[in-house]
Amino acid sequence: MIQAVGLTKRYGDKLAVDHADFVVEAGTVTGFLGPNGAGKSTTMRMILGLDHPSDGGVTVDGKPYRSLPVPLREVGALLDAKSVHGGRTAYNHLACLAKSNGIPLRRVDEVIGLVGLEQVAKKRSKNFSLGMGQRLGIAAALLGDPGTLLFDEPVNGLDPEGILWVRNLMKSLAAQGRTVFVSSHLMSEMALTADRVIVIGRGQIKADTTMREFIGQNATTHVRVRSPHIGKLRELMAGKGWRTEALPDDDGAVEVFDVASEAVGDLAGQNGLWLHELAVVQPSLEEAFMSMTADSVEYHAGVPGMEPGQILGQPGLGSDQPAWQGQGGGPAQPAQPGQSGQPGRPDSGEARR
Amino acid sequence: MTATPVAAGRPGTGPGPAIGGRAGFADVISSEWMKIRTVRSTFWTLVALFAGSAVISLLITLAAANSYAKDLAEGKPDSADIVLAGLAFVGQIAAYVLGVMTISAEYSTGGIRTTLTAMPRRVEILVAKAILLAVIVFVIGLVTAFVCFYLGNIPLHAKHVGVNLSYPGATRAIFGSALYLAGLSVFGLALGFLLRHTAGAITIGLALIFIIGNLFTLIPGSVGHWLYKVMPGNAGGQVTSFGETGRNPDKAFAPWTGFTVFLIEVVVLLIVGAILFERRDA
Repeated sequence: MIQAVGLTKRYGDKLAVDHADFVVEAGTVTGFLGPNGAGKSTTMRMILGLDHPSDGGVTVDGKPYRSLPVPLREVGALLDAKSVHGGRTAYNHLACLAKSNGIPLRRVDEVIGLVGLEQVAKKRSKNFSLGMGQRLGIAAALLGDPGTLLFDEPVNGLDPEGILWVRNLMKSLAAQGRTVFVSSHLMSEMALTADRVIVIGRGQIKADTTMREFIGQNATTHVRVRSPHIGKLRELMAGKGWRTEALPDDDGAVEVFDVASEAVGDLAGQNGLWLHELAVVQPSLEEAFMSMTADSVEYHAGVPGMEPGQILGQPGLGSDQPAWQGQGGGPAQPAQPGQSGQPGRPDSGEARR
Repeated sequence: MTATPVAAGRPGTGPGPAIGGRAGFADVISSEWMKIRTVRSTFWTLVALFAGSAVISLLITLAAANSYAKDLAEGKPDSADIVLAGLAFVGQIAAYVLGVMTISAEYSTGGIRTTLTAMPRRVEILVAKAILLAVIVFVIGLVTAFVCFYLGNIPLHAKHVGVNLSYPGATRAIFGSALYLAGLSVFGLALGFLLRHTAGAITIGLALIFIIGNLFTLIPGSVGHWLYKVMPGNAGGQVTSFGETGRNPDKAFAPWTGFTVFLIEVVVLLIVGAILFERRDA
């Protein structure tokens, strides 16, 4: 369990983290969401004792990080894939870390196997691709078999197989009763992985809740209806006082807000209008996130005449992963460790850099 | 490979000491020792220290043997320092650079964050690095000093002016050279911790040792004299010279006094480095 109380980090006049209070519980994957510059990495560095809080504090299992007797046995962290001396081999890097905590070297071989780096274990890590670097970082995090794991943007640079592997890894770690805290700017990925979500904007905690509640509270559910008689149907709905909105690609579909799908279907049936589609549209994490942090984005891209929600509402835009990776919104899918627990071979499919 | 991503089952049941134990200083030493051994720059810097010093010592005595023999024959005072001249150039630079790199490479690669996540008790890391560096450089420095002494003596023996270990201050100069190089590497480590930047620490340190120390001779009076004396290179280098009194006895400290002053400077710098290391964000 990670607990922050009044956690604050000040750089000059700027509050990077502003009196943050939150608890990351064991046994769940907790997503840590926020726009760039919101304070995610600073918060993670303070949890790990790398940065000193200006005020307040944060503990892991009740202890400040620096007083953990065997840190790697209690906390594993993937901070930044480049936090490695490139001149050292992957094996030696992990062995140096293991020795500092009295962890036997056979565990180094084990974690190398777990992340699928056997073939490059004796190679110097400076030639690793970003994805291989992430795997090495994850191996280091797992080294002490810790009860608490922190991952900062873990899927960066991973191929699709690797992304699926990390997702299942995090879920299985949480299922074993561990505390898993993952920061990401990939909303759709978080929606698939995290059970709980902590949202940070301009250094302040904006939400600390379950994923489902967060989406429910911060994005509106609506009904999509498509009909060959859409004009007539819209008139009837307007007569009822329902708010409707035509979809941009106008093929006779509109969105109806704040009304149940049954009411829409009944209205059409009573008036003898045919429907080609009637669907409840679940809000996505992107929408929920954007509606909540719209005012706390540190650096706006400044696209004139465009709402942030519109940009991110379209699959494939606003997140740097392919649209097919998930439509960003549905309920979290159950893990399928039997099918997908194996990481891809590091030298297959990842471009060497 | 197994289907489940984590082989070790529940937290706290895996390898390693049972929770309740504590990662101690011995673990930090063994980790830092492996870190020093497993980068190539350590090996090559030590090779440069040894080979560079030996070759330069030989070349200098080859070139200087004639005039050295002539000076002695004419009764001019001269010392046998030239046999260790290689150590005074290449050896000093290599030892210092090795010290800087031991920590600055961790900052430039970002590896420091991984190191400190694994071992958040920072002063232990600094002390472990200092001890290991001092021991490694002392051992390599001692071997190098003996090799320089015998190699540098070959041209001198050819002119019948060679020196042996019974020459006044010879053993002190040889052991002193190894001690001075070890101190210099820790001096580099301390500056590396302070500046966290390889090029900056190397430039400033080498300037302090080789240039600024001698510039103080330009300041007239006792202030300039005193500043010259206490500069780390001038104070620490005294112990590396032959003869009972060291070089420039009227301007500089006696050998062991100078070395003690140098050691105090190194320790003070290391303490400042430790305080900043402890306080700064990594």
